Amino acid sequence: MGKINVITGRGGTGKSTFTTFLARYVNAKPLLLIDLDPDGSLAKMLGVDLEKEGKWTISDALYEVIGSGKDTKDTKDVPDLLKRKIEEGRIIYRDKKFDLITLGTKLAPGCYCLPDEMIKETIRNLHKNYEMVLVDSPAGLEHLNRKVTPDIHDLFVVLDPSEKSAKHIERIKYVTKGVNISYKNFYLIGNYRFTDEVETYLLRTEEKYLGRIAKDPLVREHNLKGESLLKIPEDSPSSVSVRKILREAGYGIV
Amino acid sequence: MAKKIVSTGRGGAGKSTFVALMSRYLKPPSLLIDLDPDLSLADMLGIDFQTEGKRTIVEALYDAVKERQRGGSPLTPVEDRFKGFVWGDCLYEGKGFDLLTLGTKDLEGCYCYPDHLLRKTISELSKNYTNVVIDSPAGLEHLNRNIVSQVDDLFVVLDPSDKSLIHIKKIKAILKEVGMMYDQFYILANYMFDEESERYLKEAGEVFLGKIEYDPKVEEYNLKGEPLNKLPEDSPAYRSVRKILEKAGLV
Repeated sequence: MGKINVITGRGGTGKSTFTTFLARYVNAKPLLLIDLDPDGSLAKMLGVDLEKEGKWTISDALYEVIGSGKDTKDTKDVPDLLKRKIEEGRIIYRDKKFDLITLGTKLAPGCYCLPDEMIKETIRNLHKNYEMVLVDSPAGLEHLNRKVTPDIHDLFVVLDPSEKSAKHIERIKYVTKGVNISYKNFYLIGNYRFTDEVETYLLRTEEKYLGRIAKDPLVREHNLKGESLLKIPEDSPSSVSVRKILREAGYGIV
Repeated sequence: MAKKIVSTGRGGAGKSTFVALMSRYLKPPSLLIDLDPDLSLADMLGIDFQTEGKRTIVEALYDAVKERQRGGSPLTPVEDRFKGFVWGDCLYEGKGFDLLTLGTKDLEGCYCYPDHLLRKTISELSKNYTNVVIDSPAGLEHLNRNIVSQVDDLFVVLDPSDKSLIHIKKIKAILKEVGMMYDQFYILANYMFDEESERYLKEAGEVFLGKIEYDPKVEEYNLKGEPLNKLPEDSPAYRSVRKILEKAGLV
């Protein structure tokens, strides 16, 4: 049974950066990564070009099965059609270290309820084939309201140095309680802008703080140029700090 | 009819900071709307909804639905009750601007319904204002919902990453598909830009209005949750926002 671990936080804090490093160092085989962000960039950070690999995002797949109208006109057939597309190998990108599924950007009017519902179903079906599933969330809280992952093992919240992050922690708890999402561990992580002063100021909560992701000009440079973060050297400050965070959470590291 | 201004961008780029700083210069009466469930615009403006006795849109919706469940106002549609609550309980009236906030929902499901109701209310409310400024949640989903279908000025606040350029393309693709019209599409650099990364934006082929200057005071105020309108008017952040608004013809 795969452990489902979710990475969340306010926008721009570094959720996808952390997820990418997590994917690199976590000792779990097989490992499934899911990018739930319509504005998603996890694939790019992992150095994967889904288009070139001929892979569809969930939104692409929905557009294909519904939008084209050639397979179905009824949304109740969609889960089965989507399952078939997965079996045909159109959706899951397979790498040596991980498999990857992305939600993708939807162009049609309306919300992400249907794509999210589909990915929820997909996680439910697939997670038993994996030792671990890592879910990279979109910014904000709405994904929690949709209850895409009802049973979370570790919930990582990446914080930026602002009072808003402190309030964000409270809002996460409020929503998870309200919609009945369970988690075993609730972990806080400081982003690259954290300082000692910020730590003492913000961390007045009883939640477990795992440490901060070290500031690293290489990460900034790679993100600016859109290059894979997996190429960042093992001994760079960011890599070292994420391994430390993982050890703090009791994870096996490769 | 009010000028409709939308501030959007990737998470953490500084959308709310931009709106909070902008509010000082807008011609009154202006209406600010915080569409982010993870709200912070009110905090940044030094407004405490609770002590002011104001409710969020989501709370007003709960009130309207609960009232119906108790059997109250059986002849008024829930939507109309909601509208009444918005005008009476949710609209914070301040100096120079009024404020509405969406609020956080703790029930399962998406924000489509509150957003849908808000869309109707915005168009009615906007008749009373010179400007209506919408502070968006991070990401793209609010665009899919087409809350305002006719935007005058769309400001996209960017952070220095390749993802920002991809973000611009995605925004444009969605706007086109959902049929949201805009007069002006402006891009702004956030405080994290240096000269090298700024060059990147100039090559993006969009109208680049400048950079919101790095300001240690903004960082400090945001950390401590202090309202940004306490910043002196000659601070780097304020001065740069004023310059941006002048270029956009809003000041």
